[in-house]
Amino acid sequence: MKPILQAQGLRLAFGGVKAADGIDLDVGEGEFLAIIGPNGAGKTTFINMCTGWLKPQAGRILWRGQDIAGLPPRRITAKGIARSFQLPQLFTEHTVLRNLALAIAAREGAFSLLRPLLRPGWTEEAMEIMRGFGLEFLADTRADALNEGSRKLADIAMAVALKPRLLLMDEPTSGVAASEKLGIVETLARVLRETGVSAVFVEHDMEVVSRFADRVAVWSQGRIVANGPPQAVLADPDVRREVIGIEDAHAAP
Amino acid sequence: MGAWFADNGLLLGLALLDGLASAALIFLVAVGLNLVFGVLRVLNIAHGSLFAIGAYTAAGLGAALGSGALPAWAALGVLILAAALVGAVLGPLIERLLLRRIYAEENVLQLLVTFALFMMLEDVQKLVWGVQPVHHDAAMRLFGTFDVPFGSDFIPFTAYQLFVLPGIAVLVLVGLVWFLRSTLSGRMIVAVTTDREAATAIGINADRVYLLTFTAGAVLAALGGALASPTAAIVPGVGASTIVLSFAVVATAGLGRIEGAALTALMIGLGRSVAVYFFPEAEVLIPYLIMVAVLLVKPQGLFGTLETRRI
Repeated sequence: MKPILQAQGLRLAFGGVKAADGIDLDVGEGEFLAIIGPNGAGKTTFINMCTGWLKPQAGRILWRGQDIAGLPPRRITAKGIARSFQLPQLFTEHTVLRNLALAIAAREGAFSLLRPLLRPGWTEEAMEIMRGFGLEFLADTRADALNEGSRKLADIAMAVALKPRLLLMDEPTSGVAASEKLGIVETLARVLRETGVSAVFVEHDMEVVSRFADRVAVWSQGRIVANGPPQAVLADPDVRREVIGIEDAHAAP
Repeated sequence: MGAWFADNGLLLGLALLDGLASAALIFLVAVGLNLVFGVLRVLNIAHGSLFAIGAYTAAGLGAALGSGALPAWAALGVLILAAALVGAVLGPLIERLLLRRIYAEENVLQLLVTFALFMMLEDVQKLVWGVQPVHHDAAMRLFGTFDVPFGSDFIPFTAYQLFVLPGIAVLVLVGLVWFLRSTLSGRMIVAVTTDREAATAIGINADRVYLLTFTAGAVLAALGGALASPTAAIVPGVGASTIVLSFAVVATAGLGRIEGAALTALMIGLGRSVAVYFFPEAEVLIPYLIMVAVLLVKPQGLFGTLETRRI
């Protein structure tokens, strides 16, 4: 698979804590890469470095061969890399439709002083994206009135409205009821597959990982300690014990 | 009560009319300060300088163009043009060269930088316009007076203060609320204000939003000064008294609130002019008494809300 994003030798330490200690990691075109690992290992730091929120102290981040490390977030977004946050960052006083329209406007670089936010082309595109996520019936609901699951989906819909080629998601299912989790990831995966968008997601739920990731990277103390297909990585006894925290004696047969 | 009113009714009416005019001016300046703080999170002390420079420029431009011989509306247009010029030149200059460098710094440093700018601009004013009072009231004279019926009496009042100032203030209030609620740029400004990270994440150009907002704030400050210039002589120190009063309004209204600034400016404008006529020694005190009273009951200001910030 042709890599679309290549991290090479990334290093970043906060005081004495090494969040990234020589990270080499590729994301293929159209690939879904899951990053798992204990809290505080540096997974979110990776997303922050790839999207310009943190500048690595050493190393390169190649986006289609061009080094983007240290570029400001807006420039990186414009290149086709979008992100979602662990806590959804919707504009709460707006309806879902207006949130999406705002993202489309930002993508288009539009800033006309007196024109309204909702214009026909954008409204239709926003409705189309909402239909993809099954959110069309919530178009006129304010973002702060959504339940957690819809909020997560709307947040990701907003990132998709930016028409990215790569979407980085920080715990897309955190805070969602267990019964809703798989549904959300299924919707998400379908939309991304349809549009051929590559995805990197930090995830703690191993069922989600094993069902939706093409590849899993295990991040521990600033290093990648395992990297491969989900079945192989998740079956590794070291990974199970040290990272996922499952003793094999207690694991399901 | 009835007897008191018979004796003082006219005075009270005059105080209310005066208060309305001064509330309009206070609103224009304070809403600019509030807008800038709400978006940039920088409390700009030099906002008072922009008021003063707007006033001097308007008076100077009016004199240079001989606006005393123009129609009233043209004389008003000269004032607005002066304000637009001052704001459109100084606003981007200050934002680009100075403020842009200190957004990430601590509040104390930001205050010191804008205070330093204020001090420098004070001296610039003295260099350019001297220390003698400057007065050019053509615009106000040209609009003439209007007799406000008051019981069996009339209060003659300048139409400029009675209609033009409050009219422009209302236009600015309605225009700003409409702009922020309904236009794309307005929505982007609000988005950056409520959540800069999220706005940046979807690719909104926060730099452009900051530049636009600061320029708009500068134009509003200069407009306040320009419109105030026909009503009173401009003297050194007017910038300082303006910024202090604006701070009181902004703190009372709740930081970042547009409608709140309007209501508070009205309270403070009316309160102050009633004091001028009935308790002159309390005039300076009144705005701060109102501020303290409001903040005791609502520490976030009349319209303020507790900020919640996400990581």
